[in-house]
Amino acid sequence: MRSAAAAFAWEFGWPRRWLFVALGLYLVALGLLKPVFLGSGATLDLGDGYVAFGTVPFSFTFMYFIAVFSFGLNGDLAARQSIYPARLFTLPVSSAELARWPMVYGLTAMAMLWIIASLAARWPMGLDLPLVWPGVMLGVVLAWTQVFMWMPYGFRGLRVVLAVSVLITLDTLVILAIEYKLSEAALVAFLAPQLPLAYYCACLVVARARRGVVPDWSVFSRTRAREAARSLSPFRSAAAAQLWFEWRRNGRSLPVLVAMVLPFELGTLFITGFGSTSYVFEVLIVALFMPILMAGFTAATVNKANPFARDAYGVTPFTATKPITTTALIAAKLKMAMWSTFAAWIVVLAFIAIGFSWSGADAVLIERWHSFADQVGLPRAIVAAGLILGGLMLGTWLMLVQGMFIGLTGREWLIKTSGFVWLVFFMALGPTLEAISESTDALRWLWDNWTIFPAILVLLKMIAAIAIARRLSHSGLISDRAIVAGAAGWAAVVFVLYGVFVWWADTLLLPRHVFLLIAILAVPLVRISAAPLALDWNRHR
Amino acid sequence: MSDAVIDIENLTRRFGAKTALNAVSLSLPRGAVYGLVGANGAGKTTLIKHILGLLRAESGSVRIFGLDPVADPVAVLSRIGYLSEENDLPGWMRVDELIRYSRAFYKNWDDAYAEELRQAFTLDPSAKIKTLSKGQKSRAGLLVALAYRPELLVLDEPSSGLDPIVRRDILGAVMRTIADEGRTVLFSSHLLDEVEQVADHVTMIRQGTIVMSAPLDEIKASHSGRTLDEIFVSHVGSHT
Repeated sequence: MRSAAAAFAWEFGWPRRWLFVALGLYLVALGLLKPVFLGSGATLDLGDGYVAFGTVPFSFTFMYFIAVFSFGLNGDLAARQSIYPARLFTLPVSSAELARWPMVYGLTAMAMLWIIASLAARWPMGLDLPLVWPGVMLGVVLAWTQVFMWMPYGFRGLRVVLAVSVLITLDTLVILAIEYKLSEAALVAFLAPQLPLAYYCACLVVARARRGVVPDWSVFSRTRAREAARSLSPFRSAAAAQLWFEWRRNGRSLPVLVAMVLPFELGTLFITGFGSTSYVFEVLIVALFMPILMAGFTAATVNKANPFARDAYGVTPFTATKPITTTALIAAKLKMAMWSTFAAWIVVLAFIAIGFSWSGADAVLIERWHSFADQVGLPRAIVAAGLILGGLMLGTWLMLVQGMFIGLTGREWLIKTSGFVWLVFFMALGPTLEAISESTDALRWLWDNWTIFPAILVLLKMIAAIAIARRLSHSGLISDRAIVAGAAGWAAVVFVLYGVFVWWADTLLLPRHVFLLIAILAVPLVRISAAPLALDWNRHR
Repeated sequence: MSDAVIDIENLTRRFGAKTALNAVSLSLPRGAVYGLVGANGAGKTTLIKHILGLLRAESGSVRIFGLDPVADPVAVLSRIGYLSEENDLPGWMRVDELIRYSRAFYKNWDDAYAEELRQAFTLDPSAKIKTLSKGQKSRAGLLVALAYRPELLVLDEPSSGLDPIVRRDILGAVMRTIADEGRTVLFSSHLLDEVEQVADHVTMIRQGTIVMSAPLDEIKASHSGRTLDEIFVSHVGSHT
């Protein structure tokens, strides 16, 4: 390896060779789809679900390239210091070269990604996509992301805010340009000059980072820290201290992420005008599901790297050596997830209220609410809204707990596999539902037998719960009395929920035992009760 | 029940094909300073992690104050002060927050002593841990390990990579702990002159096996007054 270019190529390529091989195989399989299964003359019928087969891996690869070539996987995104790896600053090359090679390889990777994506769209799917400007757009997004990642900042967290704001503005400008039917040449003329400009900025910020320049604008926060230092009162208990620790470490991520993303989502009500009722509900649904989606991202940060563990996940010795029971440690994590969920939902409800009322879209919601309440009666309408809101909040909390639980196993392969399984599930869901909806036989069979699915899930849940209860009892982490009390409490909540379901929607079309199955599935049991076992394993390996 | 603070019998631990500890037996009575020396990868940290209950004994037994540290972590850890070489204190905490957080876990936490140590170590209460130098981080870790006057102080390579002034602070802390009657210190180190300065008893470990464990005076007497450094090289085969 005799040049900086070759060294950087190795740095980016070699550790990820298997991922590139897997992606290549996937593309080959996608390419063979038409000649092998459909015949060479056929055109692939593009349902929304089938698009997922193409768009999800390409979106994933795009995001992955952004993370890899900006070194975003290497450090703390919120830190004031540059993300650019400090170990590379000692290489005997100029700062311009340090900026150049990650940009060159990143732009090349993005260009190849778009060429392959557009070819895959033209053949076998028969879609006529523009060839040049989207590729340039991907490159511009990467180049500016690199600049923002490598720049040192005066405030902690400013990098994330600035990068998200500028990239979304860029995205919106391009969407508006498409909306106003600008030619491909005009779009390229708008985008392409940004590449040398971003390169120039990257050279400057890398040079600053290399000199160790980190501006400090936190005079106010330092004063505030000194004031706070004078007024610290002791914690009531070790459990309270641990809850504070968990909240400070992980609890604020979800509400902050939601608060950063929601304004852009709700802002579309002002930019495009809400026009149709369906659009208002689309925006509302996306806003309501935002915390669950964001919880999936923040879950990864719930577990911090353990410098002592051989893998990257685990309980740090700082926490593991505190004289506190494993059950109390897990209780603090679960409570933190609960408070984080509440905080995120306060943000969501406040933003929805402000966004919809200021844009005038609330009139559509109010009209639909009155119509719904007239149809089912006000008490049922209120309970339905409560159940939906409660379900979404529970879903958010469960996503946080699930991420924490998987991370607590401390097994990197499990953490990565679960992400892959989730991706595959997401990709397969669309095509599967589409195939089912197009098959009369499948729909008929499902209509007659669909209750078998919740029944199987309930059976699996019960088997898992019994196995976990036995392990918990055997481990001595939780007393038998507490296990029985927990099971009784869980059963009581299930029966209350079952009663609400029966009261709300008692109909001859659905047998009552189906409501019971749904109630059993809705109330969390297995993941929560398994959490102490996972933490215990991780704490005492 | 034995009076030993640490009582380990036939402890074996494997990580895949590598045997990190091989039938280690060790009994350390109360009220002395024990130096644990060995080359890198000899098994010192693995042994300490078993003492703290961070690793479960695969075979053999570990008893600290007569208790199993895995089965009863609260009873054991509330009596142990621990400072690790890695020093994994959370960078986002301020020094005063670290003190406030740590004091919640220990009934014997001594506020006056903690403040005395903070001043002696010149730690700014409003400073974030991540902004501290390596030496200052070690001092912060030492503060929260000492402020509840633990019965057993465990220091895993505490002086590694630190300047002489911080090393002096650490040795001073060891001395202070010894001065409190009946307290015990176990520290691993590759700085043999340091071990020689403070240890009453030295345990040498090589490739997961204890090759020597005896009072320092006895070791020196039986090796014709040679330095610990020379004795170490002759038993372990290379310098740390």
